[in-house]
Amino acid sequence: MLHRRAFLLLTSTFTMSGLLTGRMAAFAQGTDRATAFVKATGDKLVAVVNGPGTAEAKRRDLTTIIDAAIDVDGVGRFCLGRFWRQASPEQQKHYLELFHKVLVTSVTAKLGEYQGVKLTIGRTRQQEEEQIVSTVVERPNNPPTTVDWVITQPTSAPRIIDVVAEGTSLRITQRSDYAAYLQRNGNSIDALIGAMRQQAAQNI
Amino acid sequence: MPATIRARLFTPQDVCRWAIAPCLALGLAMGLTACAEAPPADDPEAVAEFKELNDPLEPTNRFFYVIYDRVDTYVLEPIARAYRNVVPVPVRTGVSNALSNLNTPVKLGNDILEGKPRRAGDTTMRFLINSTVGVLGVFDVATGWGYGKHDADFGLTLGHWGVPDGPYLFLPVVGPSGTRDLTGFAVDTVGDPFMWVGQGTAVKTLGWTRFYVDAINARERALDPVESIKKTALDPYATFRSLYRQYREGQLTKLRDDNRATVPVWFPQMAGQEINPPSR
Repeated sequence: MLHRRAFLLLTSTFTMSGLLTGRMAAFAQGTDRATAFVKATGDKLVAVVNGPGTAEAKRRDLTTIIDAAIDVDGVGRFCLGRFWRQASPEQQKHYLELFHKVLVTSVTAKLGEYQGVKLTIGRTRQQEEEQIVSTVVERPNNPPTTVDWVITQPTSAPRIIDVVAEGTSLRITQRSDYAAYLQRNGNSIDALIGAMRQQAAQNI
Repeated sequence: MPATIRARLFTPQDVCRWAIAPCLALGLAMGLTACAEAPPADDPEAVAEFKELNDPLEPTNRFFYVIYDRVDTYVLEPIARAYRNVVPVPVRTGVSNALSNLNTPVKLGNDILEGKPRRAGDTTMRFLINSTVGVLGVFDVATGWGYGKHDADFGLTLGHWGVPDGPYLFLPVVGPSGTRDLTGFAVDTVGDPFMWVGQGTAVKTLGWTRFYVDAINARERALDPVESIKKTALDPYATFRSLYRQYREGQLTKLRDDNRATVPVWFPQMAGQEINPPSR
């Protein structure tokens, strides 16, 4: 009897520890991959931003990198919040198309003006299903800025779903902007799409 | 500025009485009549959103935002832009450093009230080093010597003590704030020893110069982000509100997480304990 209990205890301990190390290994692998991904993407962005090239060429290169690295559709759905479910498939399609345009132009316009950027990778931490990679961005004549990159891995390829600069999240800010616009325009998704269309036309 | 006002030089104390108080009174009076309309109770998501925004005075706040935005577009922004174009970068950095050095008493007081001895130490060392080696605070030598900068004000102190940020406020002169941060702003202003030291025209002039230079310096530093928000946001008021809240929460998180030990370096340390983790 005692033997059996001891045996059970032993096997369960082994299975438990096996499971735990398995999980820990998966976690470590995930964070490593997230860190490597942010480093690779960050290096590419910095190379384009600091590189020679005309503003137009830079913008094109940045668009390619952003398209590959950011989960634009996911961010777009998040930014529409509860209105995503209320939107018709047609509206959803229009919205995402415009969101993509607006996001890419605003990000490339912002980055395109920078020069002499330095990116230092810091710690990576796990938060629920996401990994957050902390970095410090330094620019001449500017105090260093902490930028957190939120990474998700739904499939095998990691994608960026948020960029948090000094505690301010890109997608949360964008969502509150849209929410306020919708609230002041009778919760009309068509009105939002119209405003975004105007915005996209202005920026190009 | 009318000659009568210019003839008599005010201290920042007077600013509160002269500019903020009547505006606040007006705001509160409007607030009584112009409250944001709560969404119907049968839309739980809208109700949750309304509560989360915590902006019951939104119509009043938007009214002040519009005025602020006009004044900014036609007065503050052009001045800040001129300042940027005329004054070279090293001078602007020096001005910014010197202003930040003048803020030491308020910062130190808050570091202590927050119960952050290492931050209080940083503030003290920064003041001692930058006021001497850094020539009256013009050069920030201390950062390079391991005493980095951090934020401290009474709004953050209250937040650290557990006071919630309260309803959002957009105020003339002050800009985006909240009930907690407005209280903090008032306490910091009154608690600043420079406000009580000395009398006479010279001191008043200095006080005013600091006030104006501070405003221009702050606006110059915000030129690029504000311009891009005004250009890209569909509702700049809401975007500034969201950014302000998130930024303050970020500062508070940084403050909470700064738990560097105060044990001397030579004292036996526990294994794995970082003696001097970076404050950032």
